[in-house]
Amino acid sequence: MDTVLSWIIFMPLLGMALGGVLRASLNLLRLLAFGSSLLVLALALALAWHFDADAGMQFVMIAPWIKSYGVTYYVGVDAFSLILVLIIALLMPLLYLYMYREARHGYWYLMMALQTGVMGAALSLDLMLFYLFWETMLLPVFIMIGRYGSNNHPFYAMKLLVMTVFGSMAMLLSILYMGYGFYAEHGFWSFALSDLAQDSHGALVAAGFLLAFAIKIPLPLFHTWMAGSYGSAPTPAVVIMSSVMAKLGAYGLWRFGFSLFEGSLHHFEPYLIALALFGLLFFALHAVMERDLRRMFAYSSGSHLSLIALGIMIQNHYGLSGALYLIATHALASAGIFLMIGLIFARVRTLEIAQLGGIAQSAPKFAFFFAFFALCIAGVPGTGGFVAELLIIIGAFEYGLATGVLAATTILAAILFIFWMLQRVLFGPQSRQTEGFVDLGAREVAMLAPLVLLLLLSGIAPNLFTPLFEPSLALMLGGRP
Amino acid sequence: MSLALLILLPFGSSLLLGMLYLFTSLRSERLYALIGVGAPLLISLIALWLGYGQLQGAESLHVSLFTWLSIDALRIEFALSFDHLSAVMMAFVSVIGTLIHLFAVGYMRGDAGFGKFFAYFNFFMGAMALLVLADNPIILFIGWELVGLASYLLIGFYHRESANVTAANKAFIANRVGDFGFIMALVLLFGAVGEGGFSFSAIEAQIYSVDHALLSLIGVLLFVGAMGKSAQIPLYVWLPDAMAGPTPVSALIHAATMVTAGVYMVARFDFLYVLIPAVGLFIAVIGILSALLSALIATMQSDIKKILAYSTMSQLGYMFVAVGLGAYGAGIFHVFTHAFFKALLFMGVGAVIIALHHEQNIFKMGGLRRFMPLVFYPMLIATLALSGVAPFAGFFSKDAILAAAVASEYPLFGVLGLVVAFLTAYYMMRLLLLVFVAPAKHRHTSLHVSPYLSLPLLPLALGSAVAGFWGMGGAYGGGDALTHFLSLSDYAHHLTHKSEYLLALLSNLIAFAGFALAYRRFASGAREPQPTALFERWILERFYVDALYHALLVVPLRRISLWCERIVDDRFVDGTLGLFSGGYRTLATHFSTLQNGNVRHYALYFLSGVSLLSLLLLWRL
Repeated sequence: MDTVLSWIIFMPLLGMALGGVLRASLNLLRLLAFGSSLLVLALALALAWHFDADAGMQFVMIAPWIKSYGVTYYVGVDAFSLILVLIIALLMPLLYLYMYREARHGYWYLMMALQTGVMGAALSLDLMLFYLFWETMLLPVFIMIGRYGSNNHPFYAMKLLVMTVFGSMAMLLSILYMGYGFYAEHGFWSFALSDLAQDSHGALVAAGFLLAFAIKIPLPLFHTWMAGSYGSAPTPAVVIMSSVMAKLGAYGLWRFGFSLFEGSLHHFEPYLIALALFGLLFFALHAVMERDLRRMFAYSSGSHLSLIALGIMIQNHYGLSGALYLIATHALASAGIFLMIGLIFARVRTLEIAQLGGIAQSAPKFAFFFAFFALCIAGVPGTGGFVAELLIIIGAFEYGLATGVLAATTILAAILFIFWMLQRVLFGPQSRQTEGFVDLGAREVAMLAPLVLLLLLSGIAPNLFTPLFEPSLALMLGGRP
Repeated sequence: MSLALLILLPFGSSLLLGMLYLFTSLRSERLYALIGVGAPLLISLIALWLGYGQLQGAESLHVSLFTWLSIDALRIEFALSFDHLSAVMMAFVSVIGTLIHLFAVGYMRGDAGFGKFFAYFNFFMGAMALLVLADNPIILFIGWELVGLASYLLIGFYHRESANVTAANKAFIANRVGDFGFIMALVLLFGAVGEGGFSFSAIEAQIYSVDHALLSLIGVLLFVGAMGKSAQIPLYVWLPDAMAGPTPVSALIHAATMVTAGVYMVARFDFLYVLIPAVGLFIAVIGILSALLSALIATMQSDIKKILAYSTMSQLGYMFVAVGLGAYGAGIFHVFTHAFFKALLFMGVGAVIIALHHEQNIFKMGGLRRFMPLVFYPMLIATLALSGVAPFAGFFSKDAILAAAVASEYPLFGVLGLVVAFLTAYYMMRLLLLVFVAPAKHRHTSLHVSPYLSLPLLPLALGSAVAGFWGMGGAYGGGDALTHFLSLSDYAHHLTHKSEYLLALLSNLIAFAGFALAYRRFASGAREPQPTALFERWILERFYVDALYHALLVVPLRRISLWCERIVDDRFVDGTLGLFSGGYRTLATHFSTLQNGNVRHYALYFLSGVSLLSLLLLWRL
């Protein structure tokens, strides 16, 4: 049982290595990708089944790695990382279903590498290991944008790389500084989170981490890489970026922010909350006049991530559980919408909103699924998004009246652009490009249906899911003054 | 369990219809109609049966299906309750809903989206049932938003026309603005009393502990939600445009049921509003202004559905006057009677529109009485009821409201209410005369009306004639049976019987004055009004409110959005980053001039380096 997390992390890498050694044909490669992702899904479900919601960190595995500097291979799962694990495990097979016809071998290899990267980042408990995975997940995306992207993709690949590496370098410096501090005080090296969390660290060290996370999430003013990268990246990479990598930024804020910088984070709290509230509206306003569908939903994603960051920063029970819930439901909904945007691009070769329209006429199934995901993002009750937004709003009101009022604008934020977008994409007369738009096929329905079902279930009966993380939140908040 | 069926049946049939429509090639209208009408028929039987039980004095029903959400102190049960208020609402919603479904079978015949229509329509019934039966405000809010979603889908049903989708968007957005207030009210309320449970009864038990100022804020914010849903000033602009939907939709959602949800919600929170009469007064003011404004606009419209839409808004205004002044029973009474005659009017209008091949301008109609008596006479009854002519249904409910208004501290509400009554009689008779009586402006010699379209009108006509007797006041020999049955916390004053007779006489005279004026101007036909006076133009252009909203909200929104991109992103953020990358590059250029391959320069560097080092050594020594 100890090794299950390692299997979850490295299974795709194994598939990738096997494919490389065997010089796999496309069919074999596809089989390896699907096989590894389905195995990971099965393991993740088993993990969730055996997960004890009342216990904290579980399935821990520690092994020495670089002994002289106390760097260890240290992985474990708690409620928060379990949510991410489940999302990644669920999304990967769907993404492979999406790229079923993809003939470029590199595409498949990169996706498998990407899965290992994000999974590792979600499960690492050693800071050096975390840093390793944190950078590992960036590289495949960088290559995918650079090689398989569109719309000025070399430039945006570079911009993404420079901005995020700038953030992670700051984080690396902070990690090294903390590690040395630990050595200076205790006489031996360690980069384990549980060790470093014993010392208190200054605001500047915290700032290094915050910079990395703020860029990855992204919070407003750290965001200018986002729209371009989303707009030029191939669809599977976009889905991973918005549904997983951005969430890992928020996850980092939680995992490292709270355990390492409890005191100094307090110092940044008002600014971060103000920034998140600003981002909530700023990104939504930004999306209104966006002409490209993918860029529009990049900003939409940004708006929701600001809301997630807000939920985390207000640090009360409702805010945190809302943030967790939104991480899960927004991951599903934005995966759905970006996959469908990919389908539009594959059919009509453009994402310029002005050139779309009337899709509902010839493709009712497509219109239904697309509108469903869009409404989910708008937080319509009956979908999980509403539950999450409600919780965060309650938490924000508990934090303060003004914060609450501003947080409640989230129910206005998405409708600023969603309905106008639906009108121009799905309804009205058909354009030259969308004439005879082909409806969803069976494979595409199979790819989207699990997302729809989960989103509905999470909206109709949220209590099926919240007990997974509710006890650990109670424990965590109860344990603090 | 039967309560759960009230929700499950319509949602389930909606799901089934939707799946059949999306994933099979079945297009048999008979099958879709059977499922589509069957579900509301079943739930009306259940609702009537349960309602009958309530009338007989049975305990109100509560059923908790499952725990919806439980986080810290927030415990929300997915619970339904069937008390007297929800019994009344549920009974008329389901019965009138069934009749309108039946009507829709005839109305939508031959439409390619027949199955989709009934999927949406049943979805609406489920959402409305959820809204009416919810046992706590959060579940109510879910139903509240879902009826809005159904309304959005159905207004934009003919989505090829971009204008229809614009109308649908407008409806959803205006409703969401209201819901912004609503949700803040709920969260504040939860913060104040939520620790002890959040069902309506639990809130009621603790409401006295809440600070008065906070309570007033909550009351106002809740009402902001009602402004959106029930189309009151300033969030009313969506309702007239919502007439873009098929006519059965206008009848069911935008006249009889959904739009009255705001009144229902205020009555549901009667225990809260009782404590804050000042907010009640605010509600009444908004109500009477909305009633007046929309009645004025209705007198100048020529689109038959828009006249009825403004009329709906105006009647909703009456209802808010009632609940605002603490006459909750009277408010719900008017909700109840209004559903009958307004649904009837819309369905009659639907039959007319179908018969005239989608002509909606009343000045191009005329003389239809001969062709469709089965539509004309029910509509006549409904017109009399809407105008408050005794003894039709609308008379008793409107009179109850006017009486409460006259007896209140501000009798001005009563006076304005009478003015609205005059305008109502005028515009309704104008509509009826121009469509059915005035000389024909079309060349049809025979018009076909399907029995699906005319037969559902008859039970509604009966209702419009007699539904008022249930709530008849003491002055007329009734005993306010409906108000007593509802047993809401009314605090409105009562009139003496004598003044009540006087008021009734006055209101009937006023109604007939309205009829007479309309008769003089329109009985022998009229041309479409060409506004001359400034005031008339203002009314015809609906006081330019839409243009104002466009200029004040839509245009700045788009400006800001572009500003975010061009100034904040490109200039500010990327500009700042550019300083770094650009500065780095400039620095590199400067340094590269040093590395120019010129030996003389290198010798110079060498020499200065050595001298510096020597100086350093000397200084250290």
